[in-house]
Amino acid sequence: MVALTAVDDSDALTEAVGLESPASSGRITLAGLSKRYGAHASDPLAVDSVDLDIEPGEFITLLGPSGCGKTSTLRMIAGFEEPTAGSLDLDGADMIRVAPNRRPMSMVFQSYALFPHLSVRENVSYGLKLKRVPSPRIKEEVDTILTIMNLMNYAERAPHQLSGGQQQRVALARALVMRPKVLLFDEPLSNLDAKLRVQMRNEIRRLQRRLGITSIFVTHDQDEAMTLSDRIVVMNKGRIEQVDVPDAVYRRPASVFVADFIGRATFLDATVVCAPEHGRAKIVALGLEFETACHADVTLESEVLLMIRPESVRLSSRVDADDVHDDVGRVLTTIFHGDSVEYEIETDSGTIVASVSDPVVDDILAPMDCVRVSIAPDRGWLLPKAAGDDALLEPLH
Amino acid sequence: MTTTLDTVAGAQPALATPPVAPPGRRSSPRTRARADRGVVALGLAVAVVLAFLVGYPVLNLLSAAFAPDGLEVLRRIVTEPTNHRIVLNTLVLGLIVGVVGTLIGFLFAFAQVRVAFRGKRALHLLAMVPIVAPPFAVATAVITLFGRNGAISNGIFGIKGDIYGLSGLVLVLSLSFFPVAYMNFRGMLQSLDPSLDEAASGLGATKLRILLSVTVPMLVPGFAGSFLLLFVESIADLANPLVLGGDYTVLSSRAYLAVTGDYNTSAGAAYSLTILLPALLVFLVQRYWVSKRSVVTVTGKPTGHSEQIRAASIRVPVLVIVGALSALIVTIYLTVLAGGFMKVPGVNNELTLDHFRFVLTGIGSKAMRDTAALALIAAPIAGVLGMLIAWLVVRKLRRTSALLDFVGMLGLAVPGTVLGIGYALSYITPTVFFGVQVLPALAGGTAAFSGGIAIVMVYITRSLPSGQRAGISSLNQIHPAIEEASTSLGAASGTTFRKVTLPLIQSALVSGLTFAFARSMTTLSPIVFLTTPGLKIMTSQILAEVDSGRFGNAFAYCTVLIVIVLSLILLINLLVRKVIFRGRTHSR
Repeated sequence: MVALTAVDDSDALTEAVGLESPASSGRITLAGLSKRYGAHASDPLAVDSVDLDIEPGEFITLLGPSGCGKTSTLRMIAGFEEPTAGSLDLDGADMIRVAPNRRPMSMVFQSYALFPHLSVRENVSYGLKLKRVPSPRIKEEVDTILTIMNLMNYAERAPHQLSGGQQQRVALARALVMRPKVLLFDEPLSNLDAKLRVQMRNEIRRLQRRLGITSIFVTHDQDEAMTLSDRIVVMNKGRIEQVDVPDAVYRRPASVFVADFIGRATFLDATVVCAPEHGRAKIVALGLEFETACHADVTLESEVLLMIRPESVRLSSRVDADDVHDDVGRVLTTIFHGDSVEYEIETDSGTIVASVSDPVVDDILAPMDCVRVSIAPDRGWLLPKAAGDDALLEPLH
Repeated sequence: MTTTLDTVAGAQPALATPPVAPPGRRSSPRTRARADRGVVALGLAVAVVLAFLVGYPVLNLLSAAFAPDGLEVLRRIVTEPTNHRIVLNTLVLGLIVGVVGTLIGFLFAFAQVRVAFRGKRALHLLAMVPIVAPPFAVATAVITLFGRNGAISNGIFGIKGDIYGLSGLVLVLSLSFFPVAYMNFRGMLQSLDPSLDEAASGLGATKLRILLSVTVPMLVPGFAGSFLLLFVESIADLANPLVLGGDYTVLSSRAYLAVTGDYNTSAGAAYSLTILLPALLVFLVQRYWVSKRSVVTVTGKPTGHSEQIRAASIRVPVLVIVGALSALIVTIYLTVLAGGFMKVPGVNNELTLDHFRFVLTGIGSKAMRDTAALALIAAPIAGVLGMLIAWLVVRKLRRTSALLDFVGMLGLAVPGTVLGIGYALSYITPTVFFGVQVLPALAGGTAAFSGGIAIVMVYITRSLPSGQRAGISSLNQIHPAIEEASTSLGAASGTTFRKVTLPLIQSALVSGLTFAFARSMTTLSPIVFLTTPGLKIMTSQILAEVDSGRFGNAFAYCTVLIVIVLSLILLINLLVRKVIFRGRTHSR
């Protein structure tokens, strides 16, 4: 219902928000941006020299566990935190010295932050009134945005009379009506229930595509990041681990951390047998020798890990327990998800998580069953093992 | 999420231009660093104001107490039996009033929140009356009713009541100060999770057992806190011991005598120092120890309605005691009201309008105008200063916020006698720092406005804490993101404060203003040291009337004062709500 309205009114929306050509403005450049909360040089950096180029109209997600610096980065872009070092440009203009209220950006907050003493209409027109837009014009624009957001019937209500999803749409309308060059989202969907979250996320994506407003979205939910973003920025301990399109982040993670944080991954010990060429390496894993895609840093001497996604694991039918091949594993646990079955399988190279979709009931393996494990062609990804990776892998072994 | 100094600190004038920084313009009119400096400057200004309001007078009092004259008195307090008697009197009075007042407050609050009966609103109003009543109303009425020629003691029972001394003081002080405990317990009881009672009940406990084994233990910090506050209030009180003390001398009345009778300010300073120390100690204990022990979490959200108790084992005793006390309070305030119309209240009950004529057209009318004017000047200053301190403490300052909060609250912790003597010491002569005159004389008959400035300062100091507390607690309930949202939509710091923060803390502001006004109008103990012939203050006029036995005039004064306070409270409420915020209220 909501989604349909958004599609139907998209032309009106484009007109109403009067956007300039999508690619014309909204380029953000972060260079060496850092934030330290304590006063002493010994205090840790919450954000550690982040470099990032965001194209006009791009939808960027900052993704990472709590405390990774994603929210601090967003708040520095918004101007709510002052960077300790580094530069922040919008369309070539320095933003660091521009006060937050004078930056052409609008923020949507996790708690929605609607003004409780103002009605929905007053909330949405708040910013336009500050801009001294003539009141007939304000009414026109607010009416349009409320119609698009399917909020017209609630215009005179107070925020506390609305449901969570409606409040979220008011917050979005309030930000959009300002025609910002940049939209900033601070985990805006985390207070909604699962179904509404999916609905709102589609709505946000659709609006953003239509309007072409550069958007930066902070979340710790990888599904949100995957479905919304043009590019995902994965952050860890104040640093950027990887910036890439969702597909690459999922299939070709830059580090064990990224692979582990996004989706489920199994890491197997592997050995490189000859020097990698053109991003491919010949390795031995699970007792077999085969070729796989590999990270650029992998050399013949590197200690490496082979990453496999659960859906890329192929299982044979049951084999006898005394079958002594290196690729035979024993099922440890079986979890039935409905649309798939997930197994943990112990092999000589490590524990593998495998997911079989659309399972046939009779074929579902039971714990202690033995199967032969193989990897779908070209689905493995070879990563160099870094210093801190053992700690990340600890829970798996 | 940390709120930093610069969260909403883009303190720029609200410009008509859209919040778009034109590309290429390197900086906005104000850089961030300078905006931070604005907050620092504001903080410093507030600190300087507080230093003059509280710090300097208290320091002067300390230095006077430790001057040779004062030291001599301090030595005698330690060595002489007469003085031991006074100290002991003070402590005994404080202990008894602390216990009795806390119990009365608890019973009233418990009845109000938990016991089923009709007339809750009336009970609440009754419990609030002492807050707007001047300090003598109860004492004078009690003398009229229960004194040597008391209307009840002599008139009905035919006995010569002996109300002067400890018993009378306990009665009057408990009835005057229990509202503090009442408010405290009422808040705690309301925020107690009713599911605790339900859980105990599910385990088979009777209502009485729940009360004694669940509710009361949860309120232990409340009992401790109320006791301490009442203890301090009663050892610091001056008005009642003067009127009702008789031979029962306490430290505050001794200090008053030293200053006004012996003209020995240093001795007064020394005596009041002995009140200041326990008062400060208790304040610190209350603030940093008791408040941290509280198991009652105030979430700001009602946790559901607690069940109204109908069990006779609780209802009957509680309502009987509360009813009897309410009857006593009603009798006392009716006496105040009626006494103003009687020739000699309690002795010659012939009706007359002389007393009101005296108050409304005689000297009293000047006192009315002077007091109301000074209180009206002080109330908005105190209200705004309180909100400003609250804003700085909650939103702007980090390391210094606890200190600022503490200094602001000192106006409540420092006994009125101490403050009054401190002001007399500090501001009767021009204030000179390092040979440079910083301020002219502010107090005393020769100062500007007949010393009105010092009195306004005292009023501000005394009423600041209530506004500050209310502001802090309501600011803490506003999520910082709401202010950031306003900033993000283009509002400068000032605009955000005016359009978002202020409307959201308006009820705190209103209660801050009304408390400030009521407190100013009814303050006596610091004022008696600062009144001048050119300036008539109602409370000290009442003291004079009571001293010379003209109770009728005193009652008329009290009635008029209560009427003024109530009507101005009403007016302030209407003004603030209807005019400034155009009737906009919000509910969360």
